[in-house]
Amino acid sequence: MSAGTAITGTGVTVSIARDPALVRTVRLVAAAVARRTGQDEEFVEEIRLAVGEACALLIGEEPDGADSPVTVAIHLSDRISVEVVSQSPAGVEGPPHGDVDGVERWALLRGLVEDFRVEQAGPTTTVSMSWLIS
Amino acid sequence: MDLSLETRHEDGRTIIEVGGEIDVYTAPRLRDKITELVGEGSYNLVIDMQKVDFLDSTGLGVLVGGMKKVRAHDGSMQLICNQERLLKIFRITGLAKVFAIHDSQADALAEH
Repeated sequence: MSAGTAITGTGVTVSIARDPALVRTVRLVAAAVARRTGQDEEFVEEIRLAVGEACALLIGEEPDGADSPVTVAIHLSDRISVEVVSQSPAGVEGPPHGDVDGVERWALLRGLVEDFRVEQAGPTTTVSMSWLIS
Repeated sequence: MDLSLETRHEDGRTIIEVGGEIDVYTAPRLRDKITELVGEGSYNLVIDMQKVDFLDSTGLGVLVGGMKKVRAHDGSMQLICNQERLLKIFRITGLAKVFAIHDSQADALAEH
C-alpha cells in the first residue's frame, strides 16, 4: 500500500478516564486515523482540533466527581465520523460556564464542523461530527 | 508537546512567550502565570503565541479572562500570532475582533 492511500471501512474506539491530561492522547489517535483518509494536513489538523475540543468540553478542567469514562469512536467510510460520549451532563443548552470564559461553549465546534450535533439524553451527552472524505 | 512559558519585561510591557499546546490540561498554568503577573502589577501584557502548536477553547477562555483582568486595571493585552491555523480559531469564535493580534513582537511593541 502506498503512502496517502485512503483507507475506509475501519475505525477505532478509545475510552479514557475523565482526566484532562489524557485529551492529548485522544488528539494523537484522531490525527493518526484522519491521516489514513489520505487527505491533506489541514484536514488532519481540523479533525485533531475538533476531537480535542469535544473531549475538553465533555471532560472539563477539574474532576466533576463522575467516574465514568469518555468514549471516542472514530469510523472511516465515505466520511470520517466521530462520536464522543460522556455519561455526564455537559451544558448543552446552558449558558457559557467553566473556563470557557466569555467564549460560547460550543462556538468553536459549531464554526469549525459543518456536520456537528450535540445532544443530551438523561445524563448522557453525545457530540457527533462528520466530514466528507473527497 | 507540553506548555512552556517564558516571561520578560520590555518597554513597559510584560511579554509571555508561550510554546507547545494550550489545552484543557495546560491552560490553567497560563492562567496562573497571568494572574501572578497582574498580581505583581504587570497590567500591559503581550502574549507571544508564535511557538504554540495547539489551542482549544479552554485556552481561549484563559486569554479572555486575562484580558478582563488587565482591563480592570486600565491595562492591555496584545497577542502575537502568525499561524493561520490559530488565527482561524480566533476568527471562528469572533475573538479576532476582540484581541489586538500582531504578526511579530516588533509590531506589538510598536503599538502604544
